[in-house]
Amino acid sequence: MKDPRYYCKGCNLNEASKRDTNLYKEELIDHFKNPRNKKNIDNSDFSSNIHNLSCGDSISISGNIEKDEFGILKIKDLGFDGSGCVISIAATSILTENCIGKRVEEVLAMKKDYILKLLGIQLGPIRLKCALLCLNVLQNGLEKFKVEEKI
Amino acid sequence: MDPKKLKCDFPILNRKDAIIYLDNGATTHKPIQVIQAVSTFYEKYNSNVHRGLSELGENATTLYEGARKKIAEFINAESEEIIFTKGTTEGINFVASAWGFDNVAVGDQIIITNVEHHSNILPWQRLAKRSGAELKFIRLNPETFFLKIDVPDLINEKTKIVAITHRSNVLSDVWESSDQLKKLIKSAHNVGAKVLIDAAQSVPHEKIDVKDLDVDFLTFSGHKMLGPTGVGVLYIKKELHEKLEPYQLGGSMVYLVMEEKFEWKEAPFKYEAGTPPIAQAIGLDCAVEYINNNVDYKQLKDHESSLCQNLIENLQKIDDVNIYGNLERLKKNGHLVSLSVDGIHAHDLCSYLSSKKIVVRAGHHCAQPLAYALGIKSSLRVSFYLYNTHQDVENFLKEFRGAVNFFK
Repeated sequence: MKDPRYYCKGCNLNEASKRDTNLYKEELIDHFKNPRNKKNIDNSDFSSNIHNLSCGDSISISGNIEKDEFGILKIKDLGFDGSGCVISIAATSILTENCIGKRVEEVLAMKKDYILKLLGIQLGPIRLKCALLCLNVLQNGLEKFKVEEKI
Repeated sequence: MDPKKLKCDFPILNRKDAIIYLDNGATTHKPIQVIQAVSTFYEKYNSNVHRGLSELGENATTLYEGARKKIAEFINAESEEIIFTKGTTEGINFVASAWGFDNVAVGDQIIITNVEHHSNILPWQRLAKRSGAELKFIRLNPETFFLKIDVPDLINEKTKIVAITHRSNVLSDVWESSDQLKKLIKSAHNVGAKVLIDAAQSVPHEKIDVKDLDVDFLTFSGHKMLGPTGVGVLYIKKELHEKLEPYQLGGSMVYLVMEEKFEWKEAPFKYEAGTPPIAQAIGLDCAVEYINNNVDYKQLKDHESSLCQNLIENLQKIDDVNIYGNLERLKKNGHLVSLSVDGIHAHDLCSYLSSKKIVVRAGHHCAQPLAYALGIKSSLRVSFYLYNTHQDVENFLKEFRGAVNFFK
C-alpha cells in the first residue's frame, strides 16, 4: 500500500501545512497595546463602522479629507475606535498610519495582499477577516463620502 | 480504559510535532481502525447500494445495512428507525421540514431552549415564521446554569414539538437532573406533542437509550464520536413512520414511478433519497465497534470529569479568568470547560495556543443566543474525549498562563 502521506501533484494537502503560524510578531503586539490614531476626529468628513457579529469585533473609523495642490482628494487625518482581537486592532492601527496622506482613490484600490504585506504575516482563511475588517470599514467610509459629496 | 494506550490508536495525535487536541466538542479524531475501514471499503468493496445486482453491490449493501443494525443496537433502537443523514444539522432540518410543515400551524407552539446550537434554533425559527406558530424558549438560570422549567406555564395543548439539546456544546449538562428531562418529555407526550433531542454532544460521552428516554426523534453526528465527517444519524420512532413523509425525494427511496405519480418504499429507505454516505456509514459502524470494545461509560465519565476538575481548580488560581457553567456539576460529570479572560479576546488566546500546538475552540460556538444571555462575545472552550490525559491539561495550563502574560 502507498504511503498515506503521498498526495497527487497539485493536491491542496501538499500546501496546507506550509504556513508560518506565528501571528503575534512584536510589531503587531506593540500596535495592539499602544494603538496609533485611536482618537476622535472633530468635525470629521466621514465615519464608518462595522460590527462583525461572528467574532464580536467592532471597528469605527472617521477622518478628514482635503484636496491637494492638483485638486485631488487626499486623506488628511484618520481616527479609530473599537474593540477586538490583536489582529483586527493592530491592523487598524497600522492601516490608519499608512493611509494618512494617501489619495482617496489609492486607498479604495487597496486589496487583501496590500494589508497582508503591511502586517508582514500570513493568515489562514479564518483569521483573514480580522485583518481585512479595517480596510472594509475605511473603504465603506470613503465610498459613502464620495456619494454624499456627489464626487 | 487507559487513555494513554487509546491515544496510540490515533495517528494524528502521534505526529512528530504532536498536537494536544482539546477541541473534541467540534470534532474528534479518528482511530486507525476507522480510517482503515473507510479506505478498505474504497479499495475492496466500493459500489452503490440498493441498486444493481453485482456481487460488489451486494457486498456494499450488506456492509451499509450492517452499519445501520450496529448503530440501532448502540442506542437501543430498531434498524428501520435509523436514518443516515449528513449530520445532526440535517437531522433537525429533516424534522422541522418534513414533520414540521405537516404538523405545525397558526397558533401552535414550538418549544426550544436558549442554550441551543444554531442548528437547533434556525430550522424552528423558519418553521414558526412560515406556519404562524409561536417559538417559545426554556431559559437558562444564569445563577445555577441549569434550565428553568415550569411545565404548567410552558406546555399546553397548543404545544406541537419540544426540541431540546441533551448536553450544551458550551456548558455541558444544563439539566438539573435526568428526571427533569424525562418529566418534560412525559408532559410533552401528555398533550400529544413530539420531542426531538439533539444528542450531538451526549452520544460520544454517555450511553443513550432511546426507549428509556422515550423520545420521538433523536439526532447526532458521526464525526464527534470517532467516525468520519459527512454521516450522522436521525432516529425516528417507528410509530411515526406511516404518517411522516420523506424530507427529500429522488432515487433509491422510491418503489414505483409513473409520469404523474409515485409510491415510496418503506422506512428507513423512503427517508434516504439519493446515494447515501456509504463509506462514512461503514466508518461509523467501525467507530461504534471501537467504542463498544474500549469504552466503559462510567470510567469515561469519571475520567473526563476528573480532567475538568483539574482544569477548573487550576484556572481558578489565575486572575481575571471567568468560567461558565455549573462548576460542581462539571467536576462531577462534565466533559468540557468554557472560559474567558478579561481584556483578552478568546480568538487571540486560541491562536497563541495553536502556535504552541494546543488546539482549543474560541468564539460563540454557534450558540449566539446563549453567549448573549451570558453577556459575552466569545469564550474559549476546552473539550475532552477518551484519549486526553492529565498531562494534556498540564500542558494546556502552562501555555495558557503564558498566553495570559503575553497579551496582558
